[in-house]
Amino acid sequence: MADLLPGFDDETLYEDAPCGYLATLPDGTVLRVNRTLLRWTGYDSDELCGTRFQDRLTLAGRIYHETHFAPLLRMQGSISEVALDFVCKNGERLPTLVNTVQRTDEEGRPVVNLTTVFDARDRRRYEQELLAARDVARTAALELQRLNSELEQRVAAAVEERLTAEDALRQSQKMEAIGQLTGGVAHDFNNLLTLVIGGLDLIGRQIPSQPPGPGTERIRRARDAAMEGARRAAKLTQHLLAFARRQPLEPRLLEVNRLIREISDMLRRTLGEQVELETVLGAGLWDVEADPVQLENAMLNLGVNARDAMPAGGKLTIETHNSSLDDSYVAGVPEGLAAGQYVMIAVSDTGCGMDLETQQKVFEPFFTTKEVGKGTGLGLSQVYGFVRQSGGHVRIYSEPGVGTNVKIYLPRARPGIEAEPERRVEPAAMSGDEKILVVEDHEDLRHYIVGILTDLGYEVVATADGPSAIETIAKRPDLDLLLTDVVLPGGMNGRQIATEALRLRPGLKILFMTGYTHNAIVHDGRLDPGVALISKPFTYDQLGAKVRSELDGLPGHRRT
Amino acid sequence: MDILGRHNVTVSGKGERFMMFAHGFGCDRNMWRFVAPAFEETHRIVLFDHVGCGRSDSSLYDPGRHSSLQGYADDVVAIGRALGLEEAIFVGHSVSAMIGILAARTAPGMFGKLVLIGPSPCYINDGDYRGGFERSDIDELMTFMDSNFLGWSAALTPQIMGNPDRPELAEELNNSFCRADPDIAKSFARVTFLSDNRSDLEGVAIPALILQCSEDLIAPDSVGAYVHERLAGSALVRLRATGHCPNLSAPEETVEAIREWI
Repeated sequence: MADLLPGFDDETLYEDAPCGYLATLPDGTVLRVNRTLLRWTGYDSDELCGTRFQDRLTLAGRIYHETHFAPLLRMQGSISEVALDFVCKNGERLPTLVNTVQRTDEEGRPVVNLTTVFDARDRRRYEQELLAARDVARTAALELQRLNSELEQRVAAAVEERLTAEDALRQSQKMEAIGQLTGGVAHDFNNLLTLVIGGLDLIGRQIPSQPPGPGTERIRRARDAAMEGARRAAKLTQHLLAFARRQPLEPRLLEVNRLIREISDMLRRTLGEQVELETVLGAGLWDVEADPVQLENAMLNLGVNARDAMPAGGKLTIETHNSSLDDSYVAGVPEGLAAGQYVMIAVSDTGCGMDLETQQKVFEPFFTTKEVGKGTGLGLSQVYGFVRQSGGHVRIYSEPGVGTNVKIYLPRARPGIEAEPERRVEPAAMSGDEKILVVEDHEDLRHYIVGILTDLGYEVVATADGPSAIETIAKRPDLDLLLTDVVLPGGMNGRQIATEALRLRPGLKILFMTGYTHNAIVHDGRLDPGVALISKPFTYDQLGAKVRSELDGLPGHRRT
Repeated sequence: MDILGRHNVTVSGKGERFMMFAHGFGCDRNMWRFVAPAFEETHRIVLFDHVGCGRSDSSLYDPGRHSSLQGYADDVVAIGRALGLEEAIFVGHSVSAMIGILAARTAPGMFGKLVLIGPSPCYINDGDYRGGFERSDIDELMTFMDSNFLGWSAALTPQIMGNPDRPELAEELNNSFCRADPDIAKSFARVTFLSDNRSDLEGVAIPALILQCSEDLIAPDSVGAYVHERLAGSALVRLRATGHCPNLSAPEETVEAIREWI
């Protein structure tokens, strides 16, 4: 058949084959190279023979030769379609695919390597396109994954929000139902007590006209004991009516600060020596219209609860200041509240605190965490009922092991004059596109905050505890502001998060939020004076304005 | 599967003392086939595959932990603990030489002697230090690895991974390095060539033998000398063998040098 190839001797077939051909020693030294490869690379035969073929590769190719090609050729005896780039004499690179077979002697020692070299310029170009397409596909897949999980999160958040709202509504409906039931019973009972007390009173007035003697004396003692019991029953009924908001109130124009000053001696005695009392009374406090006796009772009830929560002693802080509750705040009060101006009285203790479940029940009548016989379970019910009946609002914040804070809002007394509507800050002045990390463990509150900030245009990331916050900060160097609760579960409080955040990201702006009042938290040593702080509850506008002013301020600055 | 199974660990040979062989970047435990058997009469030979290489379990790979050589060193320590190694001899090729040093620092007492074949504590040039490469060279290497992994990775990996009882599927592959997981291999390359473990050479009190090849592109003479100078109590032996893998290109000379030293 070879006759059919006139003029094509073996030499020509070898030299001009459509692939490069190399014979090398096991260390790569070139023994022979065909014309095709010389033509492709631009070298003379003399220039290649005696040098190592791997020295004609790009540096990356040489690394690959040393780490993959050579060891595997030795182990396998052959190697197929390895991509390597030659450097031509003129400096251009020639992408190739290389096949090599290693010939060994009888004892298995390598003697010579035989290599074919294929021009792979087109194929490599195509590969590069494929790789680029793969990268695009990977990016798209990741993006899709991200969108999916974001969608899932949003659905979960919406469901959660709905459940939380339903929970709150149920809770307020329950309170309402208990109130009606209690009120109804107490009311009837009061009527009966009126009859009982009236009868005993009549008996009492008849006694002096009876002939003196041991029999009459026995009647008098029995009447007195019955009267004392009836009075105590009446007092209890009073508490029940207070919770049911059916007690007769005697509202008067009242200076809250004066009332607190007047009862502080009595409070101190109630609290005992172990508990320190501090009052921080706001200047220029508005008057309220409320029943002074009931407000005194409320303050005493809160004092007694605080004392019992601090058996080893602690600190009770009473604060007052003026406060404006706007539409967006009152929208979050399921039992209903009018927007407007209020006087806030905050009572904070450093006691044992309570969990969320307990917090939801504390206002219910007869609910008590105290030992049998130690409490009636009516103290906080009285507070709740009285404040609601006075058109106000009670909020409770508590952290187990840290303390409890109760805030009472009583409407400002402006008889005949409508409360001046609060000037709304223009939303545009509060909005922004900065990136904010929110750390808040109470889920409903977290949703509320994220909702406000997202609405204002910020990009918000939210976590529930310190460790995940730190993880987020480490991953997101683009964050502008850390907005964190002070008291948190998970082993890190807000101050520790802030310290670690500043270590990772010096200059990161930090805004604390807390249900405790500024004085309670600063004096208790949980935060340094002068940090940026916003007190819960806050309104939409208060949060928006505070965040904006922090972002516009100097990095890491402190207010003093 | 336990840690030994997941790293494809085998123990063979006779003798009291353990000798652990660690392969370098680009290979697997098979690269010791001409060297390890020479010590089976006198030592207990431990062979294993780094994560992502050979027949290791790729699910061991942790992008965070394996983003530095310490992660690979911790794997070595975990294997050593599982085998109860004490005062063993560690033989590490290429990047595994540094992995051995890190492992010895992590678990004092586990290794009593270190044999470092072609070690380099830092491959990138840095001021007066000449590691041999620039950052751009390493980026180009990544592209290269892509080219050489292309075409088989998506098609064949699942088949191999999903058929552990049919190892011949892997044997059918043209080039056995294709058994490496391409993504892990690229990450290993990046970790290897971008690592800087020069400071880890200080204070290693274990006797060490440095085997330096002639004309080694990956770990040039100057780097071997640098390691020798920094590693207190180390011995440096220059081999006639050229290239980066004397254990394959000159196994007799390699075995002789190790045997003489230990």
